[in-house]
Amino acid sequence: MSTRPTIVLLPGLLCDASIWEAQRATLAPHAEIRIADFSQLDSIDAMARSALGLADGPLIAIGHSMGARVAMEMVRLAPGRIEKLALIDTGVDSRRDGEAEKRQILIDLAFAEGMEALAERWLPPMLHEGRVGDQALLAPLKAMVMRATPEQHHRQIKALLNRPNVRPHLEAIACPTLVMVGRQDRWSPLAQHEEMASLIPNAELVVIEDSGHMSLLEQPEQVSRALLRFLGFEKDHSGADRAALGEVKPMGDDAVPDRIPDTPLFDRKRSLQGYRINKMAMGLGNPANREAFRENESAYLDRFGLTPEEKEAVMTRNWREMVRLGGNLFFILKISAVDPVRITEIGAHQAGMEHADFLRDRLGKK
Amino acid sequence: MAKLIGGLGTSHVPSISAALDKGLRDTPDWKPFFDGYIPGQDWVRENKPDVAVVIFNDHGNTFFLDKVPTFAVGCAEEYRPVDEGWGPRAIAPFKGAVDFSWHFIDTLVENRFDPMICQEIEVDHGLQVPMELFWGKPDAWPVKVVPIFVNVIQYPIPLPSRCYEMGRVLRRAIESYDSDERFVVVGTGGLSHQLQGARAGFVNPQADQAFLNDIAADPDRLAAMSREQYVEMFGSEGAELMMWLVMRGAMDPDVVVRHRHYFVPASMTGAGMIVLENRADAARAAAA
Repeated sequence: MSTRPTIVLLPGLLCDASIWEAQRATLAPHAEIRIADFSQLDSIDAMARSALGLADGPLIAIGHSMGARVAMEMVRLAPGRIEKLALIDTGVDSRRDGEAEKRQILIDLAFAEGMEALAERWLPPMLHEGRVGDQALLAPLKAMVMRATPEQHHRQIKALLNRPNVRPHLEAIACPTLVMVGRQDRWSPLAQHEEMASLIPNAELVVIEDSGHMSLLEQPEQVSRALLRFLGFEKDHSGADRAALGEVKPMGDDAVPDRIPDTPLFDRKRSLQGYRINKMAMGLGNPANREAFRENESAYLDRFGLTPEEKEAVMTRNWREMVRLGGNLFFILKISAVDPVRITEIGAHQAGMEHADFLRDRLGKK
Repeated sequence: MAKLIGGLGTSHVPSISAALDKGLRDTPDWKPFFDGYIPGQDWVRENKPDVAVVIFNDHGNTFFLDKVPTFAVGCAEEYRPVDEGWGPRAIAPFKGAVDFSWHFIDTLVENRFDPMICQEIEVDHGLQVPMELFWGKPDAWPVKVVPIFVNVIQYPIPLPSRCYEMGRVLRRAIESYDSDERFVVVGTGGLSHQLQGARAGFVNPQADQAFLNDIAADPDRLAAMSREQYVEMFGSEGAELMMWLVMRGAMDPDVVVRHRHYFVPASMTGAGMIVLENRADAARAAAA
């Protein structure tokens, strides 16, 4: 008999279980659902420990905003227990310069003028610009904020200001991870999530269209569908169904072929994937770096954080593999300035042809 | 007011300058290629342009992927060759047409193009090679330059139609520029070539020849093509050809082809050149 998995839903600042209502309803047929309550806690660590205590055994952690930071902390505390992770509208860095002062203004506002005043100030920048006047969306959010207290706000802000920088820990997240963000999220923008998805080894990125930071409420359908698919609760969609889900765009899917055969376009995915290799190669435009590459290639490559796979491709001068890993020829060509090889030989290698055949058959040389 | 006297188009393959540096000009591989440019060089010598606006792309030499401007315009006093990995080449630095560059940037923004503005920037073979092909390798360049960098590497790259429209704005900028200087616009890149993927080495001489016809006779067709069509027809790096549309957009609809040259393969590329004049100017010159 198969046991149902347990999902822990982790809300963000000033949010309670109501923010997860649509996702709870969607996921309930497939799993045991627990929703964390962070109203009394004032550190990310305490929040993570409390969430881990909501159930025994393996968990699926799904967090929104501050809740996603808690989810990452849960992985750090109990990596063996988290089977899957979904991080929605969030970030990984610690406190920014000037952030404490800005947050203090809102803390003072809540104590001085009450939660309604805070809601009116705090909520609009969280939403898609086109929906700040949408009462159907705004009313439940405002009601939720007004259920909270200035003291809760103060505690959670304290937790946020003291949040850890989890960037160095991202590469250690081993479980399948969904990184999701509203395309118009002004609070924690798309680019930040693209970076997270590139740093977490087993991550995919999904962009929620027409949504700000409050994607759970702004586009509940899109969020729910992405979660169902990611968690494997839905049978694999046929191509037609996938097209119907047009607004959900998974990334990092190597199975999707290039539209023009054997012609890799240097798109967002390749650019993110190949960033390290290309940066390393770009460095060879500098004579000192060329010298360092010549002296100790392995050490030079390590300076740019190349993965073992990327390193192997470079050190074996495997051009086809470098391109497959996101290397762009204009950058990696600089390797041939240090270790000479003709461009036509690089071409022949990628085409899988002998050099003489390549010159004759592709380029029409006699 | 300043005057646009011609539109030039050419490939900018780096092996071209490498061949010149190594003294390979008259080898069997290269001689027919270089000889085809002699009429273009004669045209430049006879017509003595003061300013060359050169549209090209950087090839991961000046810009890295951390900052990728879709369109960037140089307004520097001087543009030095960048180290592409082999050390900077021994060619004279290019002198900038600073005042016109700023006027052009103003005109662009007023016409809803918002370029990156570059007061200090180095240039790679994308600009060097066309200059050497038309002007040789002088100790000091007899012409000032205005570099326009177009991103054709990191997708999303701009639409071909957008390049064409930018050319029209460039024409307006030249004709509203208070000077008696003579301008040429140089569209560079292409023709067909592909450096990456299993289709590497793809060239398409037939499509290249059709492009050289249409860049003069039917540029609207070329401007209406999609980016993917460029990649499909000319190869992934052959999509650079859309930069010729900036040059073509600056010219009158009705042009005459003064010179034309095609050679394949220059290294891994279908290489071509064209020299265009506005028909109205050509007719006036003939009558005089």
